[in-house]
Amino acid sequence: MAVVEAPVEHAVSQRRVSGWTVVLAQELRDLWLGGRGLVLCFVFSILVSVIAYLVASSTGFNFLEQRESASLTLQAAITCGGLLALLVAADSVSGERERGTLETMLLTPVPRRQIAVGKLLAALSLWLACFVVAIPYVWLLGRDVGVVDEALVAGFVVGTLLALFLVSVGLVLSVFASSNRISLSVSLFLLLALLAPTQLPSGVEQAWAGELVVNTNPLTAGIHYIGRIVISGHGWSDDVHLLYAPVLAACVSVLVAIFVAGRFMRLRGGVSG
Amino acid sequence: MSLRRRWAVVAAAAALLSPATALAAGGDDVSVSVDRATIQTGLGKKFVFRSTVRNEGSAPVSGLIAHLNILSLRAGTYVDPEDWSSNRTRYLGAIPPGGSVVTTWQLQAVNDGSFGVYVAVLPDSGVAVAPTTTPTIRLGVTSRRTLNPSGMVPVALGIPALLAVLALAVRIRRRG
Repeated sequence: MAVVEAPVEHAVSQRRVSGWTVVLAQELRDLWLGGRGLVLCFVFSILVSVIAYLVASSTGFNFLEQRESASLTLQAAITCGGLLALLVAADSVSGERERGTLETMLLTPVPRRQIAVGKLLAALSLWLACFVVAIPYVWLLGRDVGVVDEALVAGFVVGTLLALFLVSVGLVLSVFASSNRISLSVSLFLLLALLAPTQLPSGVEQAWAGELVVNTNPLTAGIHYIGRIVISGHGWSDDVHLLYAPVLAACVSVLVAIFVAGRFMRLRGGVSG
Repeated sequence: MSLRRRWAVVAAAAALLSPATALAAGGDDVSVSVDRATIQTGLGKKFVFRSTVRNEGSAPVSGLIAHLNILSLRAGTYVDPEDWSSNRTRYLGAIPPGGSVVTTWQLQAVNDGSFGVYVAVLPDSGVAVAPTTTPTIRLGVTSRRTLNPSGMVPVALGIPALLAVLALAVRIRRRG
């Protein structure tokens, strides 16, 4: 029996793999060959250029430590890259719904969970592209103080975790939103709310409540982790507790997004729909 | 108890017992000099100078503290000495009669303008004597303007330009 069942299982798993890869390929074509991804990367590069130039000017005068300038640029790249990936994910279902292309996708014999996986990975590709764009800036700012490797590895790990979290949240919002505008605006508000604790005075962060907020908020925890590695020169495991929130948020949000998309991705938006 | 601390205790005890000795430790028998009178540098540049604390007396001295100070010679320039040097206080070891201790001070020019730099030496007993100071070093810092800090301009302009060309090419290809 086992001999008979094995090829069937193999065929099923092959079909499952090909389902999300087909969606992923289609989404990547739309994003990158459609030109939207490149335009977003262009906007991203202008923003990072301005920030990097300003911090390089300060670094040239030594008002801002070079480690700080590399860290600041990296953090800006992670935040902006995450924002763009979030917006693409937030548009992925509600946008297709409004453009009238969701019906075609839902009629394909690909399970909706696999559609979600394809869309998540396509949105994640924008973060990866943003990270590649940010590499030369970080290299220029960090090469003299020898923090390029640490900055890039920490930035890639933390940025990817945060991007996974954000695109998953964006996809969930996009599934439930009754309109694309709502999906995008709620996503943007959510990101701003998550970033708000970074504006707290340092004294507040020292208090237990402030520390709790910083450590449990995936964005602030991840950004603080990068700061500890790049600016303070801490070891990878010294502040590993700051990675708990990003890792947990990424894992849970991806699972929730796949579950929600499989259960609630419909032609009509809205919570009741 | 470390040797330095032992010297400090001895010096403090001596200061309590004999004000003249304390005075000597803080002033008369100790001379302080610097290796230059003027320094000219650019904004953001690092520079060093050396101070020498010499024991001119016939007895060893210990428990001396050298402290670096910097101030603007012109009104209106804010100076935070901590920004200029992260290690401004040095606790000197015992100096034998006729001996000396050379201290290297590393600074970074974070303001442009004219500044006075000096080192003050005082005893760690805290006895009320005037510190011995070096002659003032006159420091001139010229401002620096660069349009290409850290070689950033080619990257800051090149990457957006490259992405713009790519986006344009994709757009043209789609229309074609």
